[in-house]
Amino acid sequence: MRQTILSVVLDVDPQSVRHLSDLIEDFKRQQEEAGTESYVRLKDGLPSLHFLSMSVFQSADYDPVFVIEANFDGASDTFWRHFEATMADHLRPMLRCCKRPVDNDEPVYDAVTKPGAREPVVTYLARRTLRPSVFHQGNRGLERERILRERDLFLAIKGELAQPSPTAPNPYRAIPAEQIHTRLRNAMSRSFPWLAEPASPRIPWTERTADFCRLLAFLFATFLCLSIPGMAVAPVTPALRFAVLTAVLAGLVAIGLWRMHRARAGEGVPTRSGGLTPASLSVKNRLTSFAHPVTLVAGLLFVVALYVVAATVIGSVLTMLITGLSYADSFWPTARVVLLGLASIAFTAPAVVLWLRWLERRDSSHDEPPVDVQLLREMARREDWIAQNHMGSVVLIKPGVLRTILVRTGHLGLGLILRAIATDGYLGSMRTVHFAHWAFINNGSRLMFFSNFDHSWESYLDDFIEKAHGGLTLAWGSGVGFPPTRFLVLDGASHGRKFKAWARHSMAVSRFWFSAYRDLTVDQIERNARIADGLRKATLKAQEATAWARDL
Amino acid sequence: MGAGSVTASTVKERLSWRLKPPHDQQTQGIVVSGFSGLPAGKALFLHCDGPDADAGQGPWLRTLMRVAPIAASDGKPEKRAAAIAFTWTGLQKAGLSPEALATFAAPFREGMYQEDRLRRLGDKIKNEWQEPVIDGGPLWSGNVPVSDGDTPDPESARVTTRTTVHALLLLYGEAVADVQAWSDEIEQALAPHSVKIVHHLALDLQFDQDGIGREHFGFADGVSQPIPFGDPNVASEDTVVLSDGKPAPRDPWHGVPLGEILLGHTNAHAEKAPGPIVRDDERARAAKLPLQGAPEGFLNLGLNGSYMVVRELRQYVARFWQSLDDNAARIRAHDPSATHVTADWLAERIVGRNIDGHLLCPRGLLAADEYRQPQNGFGFAKLDPHGQGCPLGSHVRRANPRDGLAQNLASAPALLDAVNNHRILRRGRKYGPTPTDSRIDDGAERGLLFICLNADIARQFEFIQQTWLLNKNFATLYDETDPLMGPKGRFTIPEQPLRRIVEVQTFIQLAGGEYFFLPSLPALNYLSGLQD
Ligand code: HEM
Repeated sequence: MRQTILSVVLDVDPQSVRHLSDLIEDFKRQQEEAGTESYVRLKDGLPSLHFLSMSVFQSADYDPVFVIEANFDGASDTFWRHFEATMADHLRPMLRCCKRPVDNDEPVYDAVTKPGAREPVVTYLARRTLRPSVFHQGNRGLERERILRERDLFLAIKGELAQPSPTAPNPYRAIPAEQIHTRLRNAMSRSFPWLAEPASPRIPWTERTADFCRLLAFLFATFLCLSIPGMAVAPVTPALRFAVLTAVLAGLVAIGLWRMHRARAGEGVPTRSGGLTPASLSVKNRLTSFAHPVTLVAGLLFVVALYVVAATVIGSVLTMLITGLSYADSFWPTARVVLLGLASIAFTAPAVVLWLRWLERRDSSHDEPPVDVQLLREMARREDWIAQNHMGSVVLIKPGVLRTILVRTGHLGLGLILRAIATDGYLGSMRTVHFAHWAFINNGSRLMFFSNFDHSWESYLDDFIEKAHGGLTLAWGSGVGFPPTRFLVLDGASHGRKFKAWARHSMAVSRFWFSAYRDLTVDQIERNARIADGLRKATLKAQEATAWARDL
Repeated sequence: MGAGSVTASTVKERLSWRLKPPHDQQTQGIVVSGFSGLPAGKALFLHCDGPDADAGQGPWLRTLMRVAPIAASDGKPEKRAAAIAFTWTGLQKAGLSPEALATFAAPFREGMYQEDRLRRLGDKIKNEWQEPVIDGGPLWSGNVPVSDGDTPDPESARVTTRTTVHALLLLYGEAVADVQAWSDEIEQALAPHSVKIVHHLALDLQFDQDGIGREHFGFADGVSQPIPFGDPNVASEDTVVLSDGKPAPRDPWHGVPLGEILLGHTNAHAEKAPGPIVRDDERARAAKLPLQGAPEGFLNLGLNGSYMVVRELRQYVARFWQSLDDNAARIRAHDPSATHVTADWLAERIVGRNIDGHLLCPRGLLAADEYRQPQNGFGFAKLDPHGQGCPLGSHVRRANPRDGLAQNLASAPALLDAVNNHRILRRGRKYGPTPTDSRIDDGAERGLLFICLNADIARQFEFIQQTWLLNKNFATLYDETDPLMGPKGRFTIPEQPLRRIVEVQTFIQLAGGEYFFLPSLPALNYLSGLQD
């Protein structure tokens, strides 16, 4: 099942910011008090919703910003319909605290916010909706309904396996795993008739294919862009001369890189593992994973070959159209240009890196960003109540041509790669992220980050520092004041304490936050899914049954 | 706990680690040693009544230093040893300037009983003391005042304990009588300064006939510790050696940078572990506070000091064993074939090691090391990935998951590195009488004075307690916490084909606790001169 992550970002009238925060707090209190189970009204009213948050970002650098973050199943239209029915009355006064937009949305805003307005608030919200630049969905493809259903099953199994009588033998004891499976299946099938049906695939093959095609297209475009300087000179330069020229330039760049590759004094972070280091490539990984060196090399060769063929074919057709030559006549000259262009990447790619490294060495980092003690307390007060926690952050983006290109392509590429490889419910070795996303706001001058994660904030940030600092540094290192990075992915977040301070200072209080399954971690949801999947099968082989029974 | 090795003296002594000069003379001895050669001990909790600067009597700390000189870590064996640490209010009493007090780490400044911290540590949630805390709440703390950032909110009114502790003095000696005499001497010397011993615990590290130091439930304690390392190739980082003077290699399983334990040294985040600083003035210079690592205009008050977490944990030994008897009986009734399930078997699973400290493995115990001591150089990823020997939720596996949270062998080294950013050096000891019959409640008060050293309280001690020990979802378990030190609840023991569930009770309760600053000897010197 497809899932959607979106956010609505609205500028707030600075004079109304307190009032807006109070409205959100009021709403939160009402949800907590409604019914026996708190948040039951939201839960029922928004049946596809996983996580929802409302926060107000305040900073010395910009007027307050009100953000609604929603993570739900399916496409947006149904969600907005439900949203309108449940939330409109609460949201309308909040929208009145926001600034009137200065683009074409003014009339809609007025219609929604004027006294006694009936116009659906979601017409405005839908128009102001942002799509993430990078996102991750934990437990990918498990819709809320299924997550809750499988939790009920898990709890029922716990009850079934516990023996009510303190003295009588328990029927689930002293039998092999296959029989435990059969017995449990019989016992559960009455209350959980859906066990008889096969589960729908978590990621349909159409989605999978589309993800891969998008990634390939991205790689194609990257190769093409990096080849452009080479392609420009290739038609007029003899091949040997071209090769020598490229080699000389590449050599010069390499020398420059070598001289700048080290961290500045006092900024080295000898992280031993957990990032995008060569050590994470290991033959111990499964051959089907790109973390296996053989697979990675084979994959790269395949992509390069695909690029050469595709670029040549497309290029020949274009040449044919432009020059009037026959296809056969334009083919080989085009192939030559494509290949020489490809060869020139040996210079262009490192040259870009050199430029980047030059910038990096001149970036100042914000080692001790001021954190408002009151705000810090307010955040702390809202954390660590349930199995998950929430964070939202907004940072300014480093200026400059190269930075802008890199942060955009970096996000695009990272997003596509995550889509293609993070399919097992987890984000590599980070196994605690439910829904997280980045989005560019205010014409790409600020970067917003939201995450719904398991365990404490400290442990989440430590996970970043210890296990995923490469990807995180790539995505967040473009923020002004981020701890010193090297080559876009190194160091950065592994300056642990500084990174935490920087992240904390960029955060807003999560004034309202809703989770549809407050006791479930990503791990537990996968565990429940494994148990349910096992029970859907009529029988299990001995070995399968043993592995399955470990989760009970 | 934390006595170094479990056995008093066995065949061949394992080399321990030491600090190199000048750090060894500047660091309190308790950092490098649990004083296992001094089995008697006493913890004196001091309260300073007098006005902040008691002009008439002179500085009480100076008097104290005379009667209880603090041991340095330079390894000279003594018949007596003492260590001292201060709460935030204690430092305030000692006359440390507000400016300097503000440079300490937040957890220390806020104290253990800050509202949100209480929730994270599992002590008090929604204004209710949780089960693993004694009725009515803990008896002592530093009573750190609410900081400026706290919103005035009657509901969150901070917890105050009846007793306010300003300093903790730990005394170690060869015999109980000697330590008692020493303690009396100290009490007398401090009386004129209106410094009182407001609470005390007799500590004990009696080795049994097998030479094993045991905690009250009967298990070998002090087995597994982090082992700090420096960098012999960089002069300023060449800080750690083995007890024979040779360079100390990085231990593959337990190696942590020295800055994880001592402030001012390089830590796991490749920076100098941040510590407090004071203004550069004559008094600070006279106390020989180092310049090293301090910003311009300041001297380093933290270098070679540490943060010390202290929690007085009462243990209910009879309840522990009785409840395991009941559980074993219930499990065997449910499954007559489970003849191996006894109270001992369950207790070992709760700890994760057998009664003598050997690790439980899917097939028996892990063999002893070359010193005939419990082997501690192991990971779980290869040995026991599913916890069928050492249960996933057992105390030692929660307290230090090693590489056991890895999903495959390829990521095991990365996970081990990650876990080693969250280690603590345990220096606690048990207090109270050893029970004569572990099944009978003799009404005596006993427990563990849990003490650990770390440079980053939030990343080390609090992380362990919150994210591992008391995390209801640790290692894909559901709704259960540490069976030894968590509240009453369930504990899963993985077994093939079907796990077993133990209904554990609350076996320990917090009776008092606080975060302390363990100063270096120059820092102590500075503090004791502040009220001249
Ligand atoms: C009364 C309470 C406690 C008792 C009886 C107890 C007992 C034990 C025992 C028997 C061991 C195994 C032997 C060893 O490695 O030393 C152990 C290990 C350990 N305990 Fe505790 N403990 C208690 C509380 C705590 C607390 C509160 C913490 C930390 C927050 C803690 C952290 C550890 C650590 C880190 C280890 C070493 C694990 C390893 O590295 O393998 N313990 N404890």
